Amino acid sequence: MTLASSLVLLSGIAVLWRHSLAAYIRAFARQSFLFVVAIVLIAAQTGDARLYVVAALVLLMKVVLIPNILQRVQRHVGADLEIHPYVNTPASLVITGALTLLSYAVASPVTALGSLPTRGGIPLALATVFVGLFILVSRKSALSQIIGFLILENGIALLAVLATSGVPLIVELGVFLDVLLGVLVMQVFVYRIRETFETLDVDRLKELRH
Amino acid sequence: MLLIALLACPLMAAALAAPRSLGRGAVERAGAALSGAAFLVSLVIAARVAGGGVVSIGPEEFLRADSLSAVLALIVTGTGFVALGFEAAAGAAAPDEEGGAPFRRYHALAELFLFTMLLAVTVNNVGVMWVAVEATTIITAFLVGLRRSRAALEASWKYILIGSVGIALAFLGTVLAYFNFVQRVGATPFALHWTVLSRVAGALDPDVTRLAFVFLLVGYGTKAGLAPMHTWLPDAHSEAPAPISAMMSGCLLPVALYAILRFKVVVDACVGAAFTDRMLILIAVLSVLVAALLLVRQANYKRMLAYSSVEHMGLMCLGSGLGPLGVTASLLHAVTHAAGKSMAFLLSGAVRERYGTSRIGSVRGLLRAMPWTGALFAASVLALLGLPPSGVFVSEMMLVRAGFRAGRPWITAAVLVLLVGIFIAVLGHLNRMLYGEPPEPLRAREHPRRLLPLVLNVAVLVVLGFGVPGPLMRLLGRAAEIVAP
Repeated sequence: MTLASSLVLLSGIAVLWRHSLAAYIRAFARQSFLFVVAIVLIAAQTGDARLYVVAALVLLMKVVLIPNILQRVQRHVGADLEIHPYVNTPASLVITGALTLLSYAVASPVTALGSLPTRGGIPLALATVFVGLFILVSRKSALSQIIGFLILENGIALLAVLATSGVPLIVELGVFLDVLLGVLVMQVFVYRIRETFETLDVDRLKELRH
Repeated sequence: MLLIALLACPLMAAALAAPRSLGRGAVERAGAALSGAAFLVSLVIAARVAGGGVVSIGPEEFLRADSLSAVLALIVTGTGFVALGFEAAAGAAAPDEEGGAPFRRYHALAELFLFTMLLAVTVNNVGVMWVAVEATTIITAFLVGLRRSRAALEASWKYILIGSVGIALAFLGTVLAYFNFVQRVGATPFALHWTVLSRVAGALDPDVTRLAFVFLLVGYGTKAGLAPMHTWLPDAHSEAPAPISAMMSGCLLPVALYAILRFKVVVDACVGAAFTDRMLILIAVLSVLVAALLLVRQANYKRMLAYSSVEHMGLMCLGSGLGPLGVTASLLHAVTHAAGKSMAFLLSGAVRERYGTSRIGSVRGLLRAMPWTGALFAASVLALLGLPPSGVFVSEMMLVRAGFRAGRPWITAAVLVLLVGIFIAVLGHLNRMLYGEPPEPLRAREHPRRLLPLVLNVAVLVVLGFGVPGPLMRLLGRAAEIVAP
């Protein structure tokens, strides 16, 4: 299970050394797929039928639906490269290393309290959250920021599954709905930004100061 | 039943916006009437729970309102009533002027916005509360971007991104709280119910509880516009149509603070109040400081009002960390701020319509160009600055008293100095707008009839300015007992 979580984290980090937005989207889809595998493994261990439902939902939403939406947006707006991120690749990788160490420190009380055999993956899930946050603040394209947010979201969902075998179903469903709606709304804004500013570079969005 | 009625009002109003057979005027009047009904229902609920009781419905109290929920429900429905009533009275308000966005969608979204806020304060399950708060982000992002200008687009993009990330961190905190519960107490379907969580809080693991609170404070603090996570707020609040700004400032911010207070109860029962108090005070002082610095050189009056919201949220946050009297003051402040700020934002919409700009420098002679609007706008801004006799003055004085009683004289004094600075700065901006020669030609005439719904705001500010009526004080006291026993 620790291995599966590491792979989820790694596929998040993969975004950092790529420059094409299409690769970002593929990395996110791959990460979500690994996340589904992790859920199915836990479901098989615990025999919790509810988790299969969650796995199916994640598969449908984050592996099929959302990557498709994003790919369509990306083709439509035509911008393919994240050319000048605020932080370059080597520095980004060093920072992710530091973030991973940090999450081990932060998560230590959580790991200590955990009783499930899956608890070894908790710091890795937290690291995925931090990496998502880092992608979000260090990349300039509106589309990469969405990917950063989704990776962060995956990290939190992974943490929930690893630590507690998932939150109650009603909350889970609400979260799915919110994420889907959130991505749809963000997609609308990406189109509008492209239309109005003729670029996805959010660095150009600087009319509002103080 | 009361709770169902409360939640049904905005939902019905949203549904009424759909059929094409209903004209625009009818939709607006129905919306205003239904939000008035919701306000009456929350008054009934408040009367019911002021004695310490609880109104609830559903399995294991799925929907539940105690005195704390009742205070928030009053703020939400009251502000909603005034904002929608203002629009109905205006006849042709925001959307047409705001670039002709389809009116029906706008109205339905505004009603859904009210619904999600009411759900957030009346649902017992903290997970569902999170879903409701997250839904407010998605709904309001559309409302902020309604005007489709470059600035509005930038504001809504920042808003949805920062808001979503913040709220995702709050979810992480919620997950950690749930994990904590399951490890220490065992899995139950109701583990995320606030009543259940706070009952067993003593058994939770202290370290994980602290960690969860940090994430929750950062997460919901982002939505509450507290520094340093406030960066989206001035953009979103200044670019949204006036009635939406009024609701976002007046009630959405306190709803986010409400979520923090609910968790504070659980965390305090586990690790003692000192931990949460210290963090709340730290973030509060930072918020007031940031607001003061940015208010001094503010050139846009809608952004001025937005930064004033950061200041007032800071004050509420400060009160929340100052013991029982502080929490009472903080809730009273939420009421007076909602009354003053929603009035100021609604009037700023009328000013903008008349002058066609939100720049302070371009608005001259407001008192001569629009005598009613100008006078009321001045009154609301002065009230927000804490000038007596206004409700804000009373709640701020209570806050100061709480600060000294809680043994934090230095922090209280520092905040007072910042408030004086804000007073001088904003008074200067206001003066520049009120006097001088109005530029010609101006658009649109003033319609004093439009201002009628603001009677409620003025009444609240004036009455509370001369002392808090007994029943309200009892309700606030009960609510404070929940947060800081």
